[in-house]
Amino acid sequence: MTGPLLARRALLGTALAAPFIRPSFAQGGDPYVIGTLFPMSGPNAEYGKLFTDGVQLAIEHMRADNMLRRPVRLQSEDSQALPQQAVIGMTKLINVDRASWVLVGFTAVSKAVAPIADRAKVVTINGGAVGPDLERLSPYFWNVIPLAHLETRAIFPFLIRRNLKRVALIYVDDPFGDAILQLMQREFPAAGGTVAGVFSIPRAQQNFGAVAARVRQARPDAVYIASFGAQQPQIIKGLRDNGVTQPLVSYSGINIGSVLSLPEAEGLIFTSQKFDFSGGDEVTRRFAADFKARHGTDPAIYNTNYYNGTRLFALLARELERENRPVNGDTLRETLLRLREFDLVGGKASFDEHGSMTAAIQINEIRGGRMTPIAG
Amino acid sequence: MLLLQLLLQGLQTGALYALTAAGFALIFGATRIFHFAHGSAFTLAGYTFLLASGAGLPWWAGAAGGIAVATLFGIGMERLVYRPIQRHEGSFFTVFVAAFGVAVVVQNLVGMLAGRGFASVDTPLSRASEVLPEVFLAPVFWIALGVAAMLFAALSAFLGRHPAGVALRALAQNPDLIRTYGLSSSRLSVLAFALGSALAAPAAILAAMTSGLNEAIGHHAMLISIAATIVGGVGSLRGAALAGLMLGVAESMALAVVDTQWAEGVSFLVLFAFILFRPSGFFGVVQTR
Repeated sequence: MTGPLLARRALLGTALAAPFIRPSFAQGGDPYVIGTLFPMSGPNAEYGKLFTDGVQLAIEHMRADNMLRRPVRLQSEDSQALPQQAVIGMTKLINVDRASWVLVGFTAVSKAVAPIADRAKVVTINGGAVGPDLERLSPYFWNVIPLAHLETRAIFPFLIRRNLKRVALIYVDDPFGDAILQLMQREFPAAGGTVAGVFSIPRAQQNFGAVAARVRQARPDAVYIASFGAQQPQIIKGLRDNGVTQPLVSYSGINIGSVLSLPEAEGLIFTSQKFDFSGGDEVTRRFAADFKARHGTDPAIYNTNYYNGTRLFALLARELERENRPVNGDTLRETLLRLREFDLVGGKASFDEHGSMTAAIQINEIRGGRMTPIAG
Repeated sequence: MLLLQLLLQGLQTGALYALTAAGFALIFGATRIFHFAHGSAFTLAGYTFLLASGAGLPWWAGAAGGIAVATLFGIGMERLVYRPIQRHEGSFFTVFVAAFGVAVVVQNLVGMLAGRGFASVDTPLSRASEVLPEVFLAPVFWIALGVAAMLFAALSAFLGRHPAGVALRALAQNPDLIRTYGLSSSRLSVLAFALGSALAAPAAILAAMTSGLNEAIGHHAMLISIAATIVGGVGSLRGAALAGLMLGVAESMALAVVDTQWAEGVSFLVLFAFILFRPSGFFGVVQTR
């Protein structure tokens, strides 16, 4: 008799406890794997940290809000910002870790992994690379950052208004730099400007004395820098050390600590997407407050983009769970195209049919080691 | 004026190449050890200076630290890596693989301890001012040329007049004869490594002030050193130094006609040209051991 009695009591106890253990059941089952393919070592490791901080906070919020029934696991792979490393990492994330959602950065990396994501139908989110040709890489490759053509186009009228009509371009010799070169040569003259000179540099270039001499000879009104990572402070230092006094101009990729803290970067003008962390909606305020509490600093744009990229997964997967549908590349894409608008940091975000987020652009200046919006 | 500016830039870069290459040539010429880890002495010296500057130490302390670390590294390589290998086998490939392995370990250790990516010392010495219309020069230009000239003069005097220097030259020519005269070839070998590695330190310190460092910079220093040793003529210190200077100037002057990514290729075009048309280099001599 003892056996059946114990079983009945256990059943009764379980039934009574059921309402209080919902979160445990809600987070049961195999976890959703969110993969990251960021440079965690090498000259671009500074970006990897920025990106990951955003992803981690989004997952923390996702868990705190019990947004999904299944738990979420973060799986990180080091791309070193190199295409070949990224392909290895992406293959592992898809085939071994069974990632449902992968976050990437860097144009060359994005272009290298997009075909793998396409074949496996795994949604891949870019929040850091801005090469214009990332827009239609694959139906499963989406962007939560305005691409460079939007950023660079936005600064053309500003440069003309400031009478900075002759611009020299220093661009890194890779798909991102080539894209900026083409855009600059195609569209800046149409906006009323002149490309005074173009100077390509390899990714590992460190000595910019000779480049500065050629830039000076081109006699530009301003110098546009299209590079990324730790090379950027070296370029700025190299130009300023070697007598280039003209205003320096760049895009959102220059908004990293090593540039902001560089005395030679004072006055540098750059574009970025528009955010107002102080006002705005609940999602934005919570993100800004929790980020500051966790890291002691205001969030940077890349923190925000990768927070948004991760939160977007939670919003789409939650919708699919509500409909009792499987969470996979096809259903996520179908849901994105159906809903189109999401509550992300920065307000309501809209996505176009290619999976690219639209955003307003602002122009900033580095003043006193801080990013200060000046227009837009 | 662009050509003059590029020439001056090239002289500054070439002076640093010359110092690094002369160090490698001194070691290789005296010991015939292909010291591939010579670039690591460059890296370690540069990062020591960088860390000392970051810690707020005066420049001379950082420079002395850099030279000391490079010298100790050279001696350590001779004593702990090359000598045990040569005692047992000593084939070229074993030595090369050991040196290559040390270079990779140093690169990774520096990356782990000092961070990966570019790093430089912020100093007013690297800020150029206009000395002629359209020609800018930084104080570091004169420092690089002055340090290189001074060190070569000192090294030439040492090798030409000091008994240890003469013995080093003799070691390169005929190690057996050294022993016949009662001199220790192993001590001379240590001296060659110490001097050669120390020569890389000023170049690394100046690079930290100008173009900056990264954990893999030793490979670049090594490539230039090998190229300069071949172009200058294997065994010739003067040739390696001159070739290092010439490679720096060629790399810089090439920018008048090609983009930056091709500049390093120009150095190796010069190298190929020498291998094809003048394999013995500038001052090459037939070496026998």
